[in-house]
Amino acid sequence: MADLPLQGIRVVDTCIYWAGPMATALLADLGAEVIKIESIQRIDYLRLLGGWPTPDGYEWSSVFNGANRNKFGITLNLNDQRGKDIFKDLVRVGDIVTENFSPRVMENWGLTYDALKEINPRLIMLSMPGFGTTGPLRNYVTFGPNVEMVSGMPTISGYPGGEPMMTGYMADPAAGLMGAVAVMTALQYRRRTGKGQHIDLSQMEAITTFMGGPIMDYVMNERFQPRRGNRHPFLAPHGVYRCKGDDEWVTITISSDDEWSAFCAAVGSPDWTREARFSDNQSRHENHDALDMLIGQWTSQYDRREIMGILQQAGVAASPVLSYGDVLDDPQLQHRGFFQTVTRPVTGTHPYPGFPAKFSETP
Amino acid sequence: MSERPLSGTRVLDLSNQISGPYCTKMLADFGAEVIKIERPGIGDPARMTGPFRDDNPDPEGGGLFLYLNTNKKSITLDLESTAGINIVKELIPQVDAVIENFSPRVMSGLGLDYATLKKLNPGLVMTSISPFGQTGPYRDYSATDLTIWGLSGILYELGEADREPLKMGANVSEYVAGLYGCLVTLAALYHRDETGTGQHIDLSSLEAFHTMQPSMTLVFSYAGFIRKRSGIHFPWGILPCEDGYIGFYLPTQSHWELLCTLLEMPELRDKPEYETPMMREERRDEITALIVSWLRGKRMEAVFHAAQELRLPLTIVPNVRQVLELEQHKERGFFAEIDHPVAGRLTYAGAPFKLAETPWQAGRAPLLGEHNEEIYCQRLSRTNDDLSRMAEQGVI
Repeated sequence: MADLPLQGIRVVDTCIYWAGPMATALLADLGAEVIKIESIQRIDYLRLLGGWPTPDGYEWSSVFNGANRNKFGITLNLNDQRGKDIFKDLVRVGDIVTENFSPRVMENWGLTYDALKEINPRLIMLSMPGFGTTGPLRNYVTFGPNVEMVSGMPTISGYPGGEPMMTGYMADPAAGLMGAVAVMTALQYRRRTGKGQHIDLSQMEAITTFMGGPIMDYVMNERFQPRRGNRHPFLAPHGVYRCKGDDEWVTITISSDDEWSAFCAAVGSPDWTREARFSDNQSRHENHDALDMLIGQWTSQYDRREIMGILQQAGVAASPVLSYGDVLDDPQLQHRGFFQTVTRPVTGTHPYPGFPAKFSETP
Repeated sequence: MSERPLSGTRVLDLSNQISGPYCTKMLADFGAEVIKIERPGIGDPARMTGPFRDDNPDPEGGGLFLYLNTNKKSITLDLESTAGINIVKELIPQVDAVIENFSPRVMSGLGLDYATLKKLNPGLVMTSISPFGQTGPYRDYSATDLTIWGLSGILYELGEADREPLKMGANVSEYVAGLYGCLVTLAALYHRDETGTGQHIDLSSLEAFHTMQPSMTLVFSYAGFIRKRSGIHFPWGILPCEDGYIGFYLPTQSHWELLCTLLEMPELRDKPEYETPMMREERRDEITALIVSWLRGKRMEAVFHAAQELRLPLTIVPNVRQVLELEQHKERGFFAEIDHPVAGRLTYAGAPFKLAETPWQAGRAPLLGEHNEEIYCQRLSRTNDDLSRMAEQGVI
């Protein structure tokens, strides 16, 4: 087997819950050796969340088991001086330390970057608390859902005229992904200059960088983008439509007048597709409600996968809305081998989501 | 300009819209030289996507484009002409990485497949971002952000039970694909520096976005459980107060108890029907109503700080203006003011993380073809006469 890209890099990982562990899971996927530290006195609480079918026991949390793949797990009590000494031994032979506690925790343990750099001058350390290591809110308590809440994203999300919405989970893995990118930039710098450094990642800032367009709209025009459901600011149609079956849906998005023509032909050119009120993108956007009703009447006669086939053959973007059970059976993901079968003690053999990219030389 | 983490790395950017440009924005903002190839006369279609100041369309004033293309160099080049393709091939030996997000058949159709480019530069890293990947039955299918949400499993469980599934308002799948693009490119560059070997990376936006909720397929596999849409999934929620919205999260029993303290209703703690998380989830409508009535007439900042005083993970849910005004962002200098010759001085979301030794530096997006002379004349030894002729022929 070829070496993975980060072969030889060692990460000493104190991260708990989800965002930090996702960062180090990605580094582990890329070939780094990740040594995850938990303590018997204080286990990673993520083990106790998301535990189906049984809420009991430390090994049934799907979130934990997914986010801690490919890692070595050790227990170490960092409240004990002997525990700290062992930690420092690990830092001496490591390249990267990662932590996502509140900023006070590592300080209280005396395990700050400045202290650890004395032991290992080339050390890179990633700190990724919710609000960053500085500023008036640095010690505020946040979890992934809170990070999503303060990003601004919920207030532009929701049914038209309805309340703000959120996913509740997306901020953690997204901030984790940003953490892995941050480590890579610092590694690149170290490779060139020999210098390690400390990275201060505010999860709130990381997620706010996804808000480019809406922030610009306010900065330029003092305008708040409205909650517009699944609609697009100016392209139409753009939505989720009910199909044949119980709670089955399909997404349809049309990005140009050419695609609209292709769509009309694919649905059999019924009279309504020739109406003037749908003739160009602007008129379709203005008459989106009426258009949605007519499209919904068409989609309700077909199976969601059938619609995907019909429309994609015509070059129109459409997809079935899959439940997580359906996702496991999706032919595209199966073809690419995205889910990998892993056997763990206690939970047994199950398909786990893999890495979303294929490397030609270092698979 | 001080040394930056990716100084010295050169990237040829053939990407458009959001995913690829966000990837190369990250690389450029951290110091890589990114040469963005744009279609002559038109450029990246994102230039005309807006938002525009006063809604006046201007290819140099599109807010999304300005944001996603900071610190890059723009050259115009017609990839449908032989001369254009030859110029790409001349640039390949001078760069470390190529980023593209065309449909899978396009690069090979142009004669720019990885095998060809690798002959020109054996250490080349090429990252291809596409909706479904370069292989498989969907590879030639079209997709937008919403298409990806549909297939990911995530859309199915968001929204109200009796209404259509609902995506978030931002194009999250495209940003996530862009970030993964950045991660894999940097990892492959690291590997190349260690071993001398370049490689091609085939990144699927669908797979990338699926990893934003990687546990629910496992939950299905462990227990056959599928979560149905139900509006708010307790124990988190967003609720209105006097001047905005408040969001709460109650991961543990002690957080529930802290909420009872905040609401000044300690008796809730002892109510048998609210004893366990499962019971509270079943009665989330009742509990939500209690919180809503307590929030009535209260201001978001005051509630935020009072809750945090108790160490309760409750936060404000700011709109975009309130995000821009957050004291925490000001104190940390998150937003950057950037000048642009056409768009003027605007506020941009800034560094996604702070590197102690090598600070992030703000820079502006390029004008269409702004760096033609620099790249074509200085790097490829064309003369100004050559440039005029190429412009006449529509090559640049």
